[in-house]
Amino acid sequence: MFTKLEQTMNIVDSHILEKFSAHKSQMLDNITVPNFTFGAASLDIALSKETPNHGLPLAQLHEIHAAQPEDSSSAAALTLLLAARARMAAETADQPITWVRDHGEARRQGRLYPPGLVELGINPDHILYIDAADSIAVLRAAADAVRCAPIGAVIVELAGKNPKGLDLTATRRLALSAKKSGVTTFMLRNKAAPMPSAAFSRWQVAAAPSKALAANAVGHPVFELTLLRHRGGLDGLNARLEWNRETRSFQEAADISAVPTVSGIRTDHKKIRARA
Amino acid sequence: MVLMAVDREAAYLGLGPGMKLADARARVPDLKAFDHNVLADAALLEQLADACLRYTPMVSVSPPRSLLLDISGCTHFFTSENALVEDAEDRFDQAGYSLSWALAGTPDAALALAHHGLQEGAEAQLPVSALAMDDKTHRALERAGLYHIGDLAERPRAALVARFGSSLAVRLDRIMGIEDRPIDPIRKLANVTTERRFAEPLTHIDFAISCLEELFIEAVQQLEERGQGARMIRMILFRCDGDVARLAIETAPATRDPALFKRLLKERIDALNDPLNPGFGYDLIRLSIVATDHLEMEQYRLEGGEDKQGDQAALVSQLSVRLGRTQVQHFMPADSHIPEQGLLALPALDSGPPKAWDKPKAGEPPLRPLHMFDPPQHIKVLAEVPDGPPYRFTWRRKTHRVSRYEGPERIASEWWQRRDGQQAGKGGLTRDYYRVEDIRGRRYWLFRHGLYGSEKVNPDWYIHGLFA
Repeated sequence: MFTKLEQTMNIVDSHILEKFSAHKSQMLDNITVPNFTFGAASLDIALSKETPNHGLPLAQLHEIHAAQPEDSSSAAALTLLLAARARMAAETADQPITWVRDHGEARRQGRLYPPGLVELGINPDHILYIDAADSIAVLRAAADAVRCAPIGAVIVELAGKNPKGLDLTATRRLALSAKKSGVTTFMLRNKAAPMPSAAFSRWQVAAAPSKALAANAVGHPVFELTLLRHRGGLDGLNARLEWNRETRSFQEAADISAVPTVSGIRTDHKKIRARA
Repeated sequence: MVLMAVDREAAYLGLGPGMKLADARARVPDLKAFDHNVLADAALLEQLADACLRYTPMVSVSPPRSLLLDISGCTHFFTSENALVEDAEDRFDQAGYSLSWALAGTPDAALALAHHGLQEGAEAQLPVSALAMDDKTHRALERAGLYHIGDLAERPRAALVARFGSSLAVRLDRIMGIEDRPIDPIRKLANVTTERRFAEPLTHIDFAISCLEELFIEAVQQLEERGQGARMIRMILFRCDGDVARLAIETAPATRDPALFKRLLKERIDALNDPLNPGFGYDLIRLSIVATDHLEMEQYRLEGGEDKQGDQAALVSQLSVRLGRTQVQHFMPADSHIPEQGLLALPALDSGPPKAWDKPKAGEPPLRPLHMFDPPQHIKVLAEVPDGPPYRFTWRRKTHRVSRYEGPERIASEWWQRRDGQQAGKGGLTRDYYRVEDIRGRRYWLFRHGLYGSEKVNPDWYIHGLFA
């Protein structure tokens, strides 16, 4: 009699389990991570063709590298603006953006200047700024911030080519915590050596000439973006974006590179030698 | 040179403070003399004062070598006041200090008695120098035949005040115990204090930590009744050999959460420069809540959900404890038109009401940089005309060709802050700011320091910030 009872119980159990696992897998399928966009339609569609989920996924780690050390302010601005867009897209719109920065870097690169944030359309009250002593302290503080669910976005700024403590494990830890807590995380590097990382995407950012205003005055900030790496296998995406403070979005910048770049001029040693 | 202090052996040989070094050397040729280190003495006295906090929270330092302990109501751990003094004497003796003490009703009486090696009730026998007036007054009193406090106390006050001033009467009253004076304790009195005494000293740090956690729970129970939460928690660990370890934790909002306290305590101990060393063991652990804030009981939602504000505040507290309170910042606008003084980076722990920032002009590109150099960095600039915009500049050994510029934006110095600033040439240098873009598209904020010709012959150029 007992065996009979046991059997029925087993059957019931397996039914429940089956149902539950089916439900679970269905749930997992249905959960598509919401995305955030640049606001420039062609780039967003190129990044993800599925409507309505264009752009980049939230709750992931994204890396942004400055093309040259001189471009680090542009890279920082782009990161901050993306973080602000991610914060708007997520449910954490009233939560602060946590910016973790290396103390030595702040001295070299200049400190964050809040009136400049206002000029970009970001309220400095929404920034929680953390000044850590070294790269290990930065990563530790960032790991804590990413794990804390009610945070709008986290920006981890690391200086140097190979910061101490930054490796695949560290990025993986950040990426997993981001996925779990739903906090979009950006890693900002000013002169990075290529290294494996668990980031969803990696961008290279450089400053680009702005569209001149009247009397050849400096115009709105323009960024030159190159997609270096993407989990979805995208490659070689290029874009030149201009930030629009009023709409709080990026827009495609018209081609304005009328001035030749310095790197274009090169000495042709072969020709000189042939002439000689 | 004069002797400031002597050890026991030297005192036995007849030397004493105030004696000339040459005289002392003549008496004791193999005298060892050291330079007097005032700061080290003060630090030692403060350390001893800390160690005395085990008897009473009201400990005051009276330089150069006295401590005042207000022990009213603090003798319940000992059978009597004298037992407390005996305990203190034992501890000082173990640490290698000799002690001269007195119990009295007022601090001044106790100080005077202890300095002269007398006990309570013997105030009348004190010499007039115990009044601690100036030498002239002491000499005048002695010349009048008044050698002891007792002689003075018998006299009518009016005559004394007429001759020596009212301060003499006040000091006399204080020594005679007629007038009390409040003492200035080295530590502010805490709102709630809980402590544990151990018959057998705790030699393991983990026990001390779990004891602190228990003390916190006890303390917050008291706070809960008052509708308050802890903002600042101080902990003192008294080692049985007289060493004192202090820990402090500050939280962003008021809290009564033991789990958060546990986390912060762990951070605090990890962040210590020299780790806690129990040595021979802690025999008294005290936790006091120094600052509190209003905190009502919270009711969590029935369906669960996260405590968003709480989690975020916990993050701020945790990082502030680990990295230091000034390293976790939030920004506030400041009232100044000088660019580098237009903001304050305040500790996120001291959150105040947000202040409005200036709104940017619609349609204008950013007028202020994202990153700022403070102080500005010197650059070499080539301009077409001395008071014109820059044409080319060299910064960090790289030359940049300017392709677009806007400016100057003229920012005057704060001449009203300077002495004679309203006069020509004394108001400081005006800055002419230019927003420039080099041919590679990088945007910089440069300024010329001083107006060409009128303020400076050859104005210097500086880079002050980097735009996006």
